[in-house]
Amino acid sequence: MADILAGLVGTFFIVSVLSMLWKDNIVFRFGQACIIGASMAHYCFMNTQMVFTQGVIPLSQGKLTLVFPLLLGLLLYSRLNKDIAWLARYPTNFLIGVGSGLMIAGTLRGQIIDQVKQTIVDLFAGFASESPLDALNGVIILVGVITSLSFFIFTKEHKGAFGYITKIGRVFLMISLGANFAGELVWYLTQMIGRLMYILNQLIWPLLGMA
Amino acid sequence: MATIQREIPKALLIISGVVMLLAFFLTFDIFTELKATLSSWTVLLSAISVWLGPVYAVNAQLMNYSRKKTTANLIYLIVPILFFVLFFGVALFSPGDISSASYQWLYIHIYQNVGATVYAVMFFTLASSAYRTMRMSSIEAVALAFGGVFSAMRSIPIFTYYFPWITGLGDWILLVPNVAGGRGAVIAAALGAIVVGIRTLAGKETTIQETS
Amino acid sequence: MSSQIRAKWTKRYQIMWVACLILMFIPLIHPLGLPTPVSKQVKDYYNTIKNLPEGSIVAVSFGASATLLDEQEAQFLATWKILFETKQKVIFFSTTEDGPMVLNMNLNKVKPESYGYVYGEDYVRLGYAFLGEAGQAAFSENIRSVYTSDFYGTNLNNIPLMKDINSFEDIDLLIYEYTSCTDIEWAVRQWVVAHNTPTIATTLGCCGPMAAPYYPTQVQGFLSGSVAGTELEIISGNPGPGAAISDASNLGIIPFFIAILHTNVEYFMQRRKEK
Repeated sequence: MADILAGLVGTFFIVSVLSMLWKDNIVFRFGQACIIGASMAHYCFMNTQMVFTQGVIPLSQGKLTLVFPLLLGLLLYSRLNKDIAWLARYPTNFLIGVGSGLMIAGTLRGQIIDQVKQTIVDLFAGFASESPLDALNGVIILVGVITSLSFFIFTKEHKGAFGYITKIGRVFLMISLGANFAGELVWYLTQMIGRLMYILNQLIWPLLGMA
Repeated sequence: MATIQREIPKALLIISGVVMLLAFFLTFDIFTELKATLSSWTVLLSAISVWLGPVYAVNAQLMNYSRKKTTANLIYLIVPILFFVLFFGVALFSPGDISSASYQWLYIHIYQNVGATVYAVMFFTLASSAYRTMRMSSIEAVALAFGGVFSAMRSIPIFTYYFPWITGLGDWILLVPNVAGGRGAVIAAALGAIVVGIRTLAGKETTIQETS
Repeated sequence: MSSQIRAKWTKRYQIMWVACLILMFIPLIHPLGLPTPVSKQVKDYYNTIKNLPEGSIVAVSFGASATLLDEQEAQFLATWKILFETKQKVIFFSTTEDGPMVLNMNLNKVKPESYGYVYGEDYVRLGYAFLGEAGQAAFSENIRSVYTSDFYGTNLNNIPLMKDINSFEDIDLLIYEYTSCTDIEWAVRQWVVAHNTPTIATTLGCCGPMAAPYYPTQVQGFLSGSVAGTELEIISGNPGPGAAISDASNLGIIPFFIAILHTNVEYFMQRRKEK
């Protein structure tokens, strides 16, 4: 009985969100409002617990340097008052500084040098391979990288010969987007199947005595 | 006053960023220690700020309701607060907090269902978009359709079973033209990110100055 | 858009949606049981774990979301089973708020104790921390700068497995699970580039194409979507939820392809008429 009740509650919420396909309605808005409250509660609880276990408790046990991040974090709440909102610049700028520094260092090698290196390696490995298809793939990757990179040059007008190069780049980027689109479509399909399986396993089969 | 309000925070940004950069290129212990310490501070700092979310959300809904007193706006105001109190209360007062049976019940049958169904609904809207986006009116649209259709078929067993060549084609699309296009985008985005990062550390990025 | 055209499109969409729903239901009642071929990146993902010497330290950066479990549960369960079968020492740390809950559900299903695993000696759960890129950097340099205790509140120094483990130097493999497509860059920048840590990734289907440029040199293998989870189940011989979901997806997508065919036939006929 408790399982069927759980199935009923779950099915109600699934149907409430699905009703959006018919039209925007009060039941959908109710479901939407529920998840806003539930997710806020979950995130607030988990983060507050984390602050206590990894911040306040170690601080009380002698790790005094934790005073700085705890104070900086509290300064963020000064945004709620216009007169002292400038205090929030301290933690914000600290976050931006640390993030930027970490990002620049890793990006140079990880996303530029290594990617260019891999493109050239793919080309030479392709030609060194026995299969002519590997060589062709290496050439396609090289052409694709150069042309799609040139698409992002906005300081020169995409006209004439350069226009043809960027057009080829656009084709490669659209194939990439298509692959992304397919991934999303199958992902959402899987999500829908998951909800149908929930309705079957938690409500329909137990009601029919086939659990 | 300008010094405390703008210059010192700017200096904090520059110093923390430069320390992170130096820690990457110099192998002295002091920089490694500083990198670990300052990075770990961002974890706590970010976690503390989470309560700004509910404050802003409730404030926004209150203002919305006071502007337009409709049933929908009332639901948007009251229901999130109710469910916030329910979930937070159960997590706080149940033995075992989030691992308790009662919280797990709420989590699986309400939170997980609504969240998952929001994504599930997008299947229908995305599938409908096939009518518009997959119309082969240009070479770019053909490329989009080519990448999309065969990549989708590769993920569905019925197509790979009855048309085995789709397996090879789908894998080829992912690992050759997709990588070609994706790599170009990665390099371009990385170049842009480095420029913005350096401008930020030099204190020249105006968007940071305006929003912080 | 005129109301007539809008009505025509709405009717078209609704027919498609109903067709999709009905076709999705059929394999759930009557499974088709079609095989799934295994792709190269999944084979590499599997082999990277299999080739680890027994007792290697594997850190799992777990950025899962409970609302995306339909897409990823097969990946998780198959991965944990492979790790436990090959007797690796596993350190789970959650980077999202949902992570601990999802791990609770996963480990209740996989049951590490059934593989002879003892908590604290063979595997450890460090719980949740708000780890963005900076957090990953901090964790890789000094685990104790982020976590002082595990998920159950035990000090790390009192956990046998964690006694001699404190940074990237002690970690043999990173399994990076993420749901936001650009997050793979964090692992590449803060683990691979910074410390040369061998890394494999698990993510959503739509994020796979964005992870592909980093494969195979920076990320040795990756799983993207429920299909990859099914493929991992097949290659590792561990049946799980992926097979049922893959099977059910067989028919539900067919209206999508029919729609593409329909719209293009309509478009080309329209163009011919105009000419």
